[in-house]
Amino acid sequence: MNCELAHERIVLGAYGELPDEQAHELDRHIVGCPECSQEQQQLLALKTLAKAYPVVEPDPNFITRSRIRLEEALDTLPPKRWYERFSQRIVNNFSSLQAAPVAALLLLIVGAGAGTLGGYEYAQARAAHAAGRGPAVPGAKADPASTLPAPSTEVSNISSVVRQPNSEIIDVTYNQVIPQHIQGSLDDPAIRQLLMLASANASSQGVRDDSVGLLAAECRAGHACQGEGIRDALMVALRYDKSEAVRMKALEGLQPYVAEDIRVRNAVLEALLNDSDPRIRAAAITELEPVQADTGVRRVLSTVANSDNNPHIRTVSREVLSRTPVFQ
Amino acid sequence: MDGPDRAAERLEARAPEMALIREAQAGSRAAFDALVRQYEQQVLRLALHLTGSEHDAEDIYQEAFLKAFRYIGNFRFECSFYTWIYRIVTNICLDQLRRRKTRREDQAVVLDHSGDEIDILASVSDNRSFSNPAKELDRKVLAERIQAALGKLTPRERMVFELKHYQGLRLRTIGEMLNTTEETAKNTLFRATKKLRTQLAGLR
Repeated sequence: MNCELAHERIVLGAYGELPDEQAHELDRHIVGCPECSQEQQQLLALKTLAKAYPVVEPDPNFITRSRIRLEEALDTLPPKRWYERFSQRIVNNFSSLQAAPVAALLLLIVGAGAGTLGGYEYAQARAAHAAGRGPAVPGAKADPASTLPAPSTEVSNISSVVRQPNSEIIDVTYNQVIPQHIQGSLDDPAIRQLLMLASANASSQGVRDDSVGLLAAECRAGHACQGEGIRDALMVALRYDKSEAVRMKALEGLQPYVAEDIRVRNAVLEALLNDSDPRIRAAAITELEPVQADTGVRRVLSTVANSDNNPHIRTVSREVLSRTPVFQ
Repeated sequence: MDGPDRAAERLEARAPEMALIREAQAGSRAAFDALVRQYEQQVLRLALHLTGSEHDAEDIYQEAFLKAFRYIGNFRFECSFYTWIYRIVTNICLDQLRRRKTRREDQAVVLDHSGDEIDILASVSDNRSFSNPAKELDRKVLAERIQAALGKLTPRERMVFELKHYQGLRLRTIGEMLNTTEETAKNTLFRATKKLRTQLAGLR
């Protein structure tokens, strides 16, 4: 380090602007350079001397006086005319746009990407539909193990497309949705299985409604209903289905099991505490009456009697509680 | 080196001020008054120390905030409002210093609004339990010598030295305020300290 550079760094170091490694380098130079050491002493002396003219905080009265004078001046300014405000807003908006090139570029990329994807999806759907209707492609070797999708089936997805090396043969792997039809009684295990699946997975509320209703009515219809799978399906519907009608049917279907099955009782208690529909909560109270002596049930009824936001529910809960003698 | 987390923290801290600025840009006088209150003390402190006169400091304060009110619509959040307002103040101060240079005024004392001299050292606390008139006089003379030496700097050197030594700002910030680079601010500081050392050499 030469002395000219050292003199500059002495100033920076005195004012805290020197990085640590440069400060260390400067210290080493000063130790061996009397001239730079004197330079540093003089600068420190200057800093000390400069304190003789200190910065003082302005007097509060001075601040107040200045502020009053400013406010008076601001009061006399004419308000901005509408076209001045409008043009200012236009300029600011334009500047904001100018200052956001990255956002504009991202928007362009996202828009182009969405358009490309949409076009690809449309082309795929068209191709799948055409393949279902049209003849086999000339020159294509048909794999005896597979056939083109029948007109009544749908291709749910294409999982792979592979071109054989040095060949014009292309391997396509796809999945099909094949509609099926079955009929039977509620005692038929296959029908029950499908009804339980439908109660949880059907995308149509009407299908879920019908399947839960049939499962719930199974016992009342005189069919065997000992299988736990049916109760599980009804409990799932009671807890999670989005439709109040489906949940109400599930609750009605669980009524025969409230006394004997603690899981069913807990599911009904959950519905009483958490269901958003007051009719379902009221029906849950009715179903719990036979087991109102249960301490768990009483605890929940007591909570509902105090904190439910529906006054009718609170009243009914209190009535049920009052009818039950408390054993000491 | 500042990381993205520090930048996000600074942005979050500035959020209430940004809301005030937007309101002021929309025409809210109350929002502008709130901004004035946030910065008025610093502005007056700087102007008073630079000019040595309450009257001149008040003029600088008035001119700075009137300009800020008039041009706040042009503020685009590309820098902090602190930097923006200080840019206005330092430009006005530089104009003031240039006018003084032209008139060759030698403001060796601090004056209040009625033109009477203020003893700036009287507001500086003295650790001793008894007064020492001789020492007080020495300090007063020293202060006058310092002010005279500062007066011999160019307006830009005076401004950079004021902002760095007395106001404690970073050279990078000073560069932004004076619409120049950090390197230029650094070189200006070197020249200012060299000149002051030469002026005050006999006082050591």
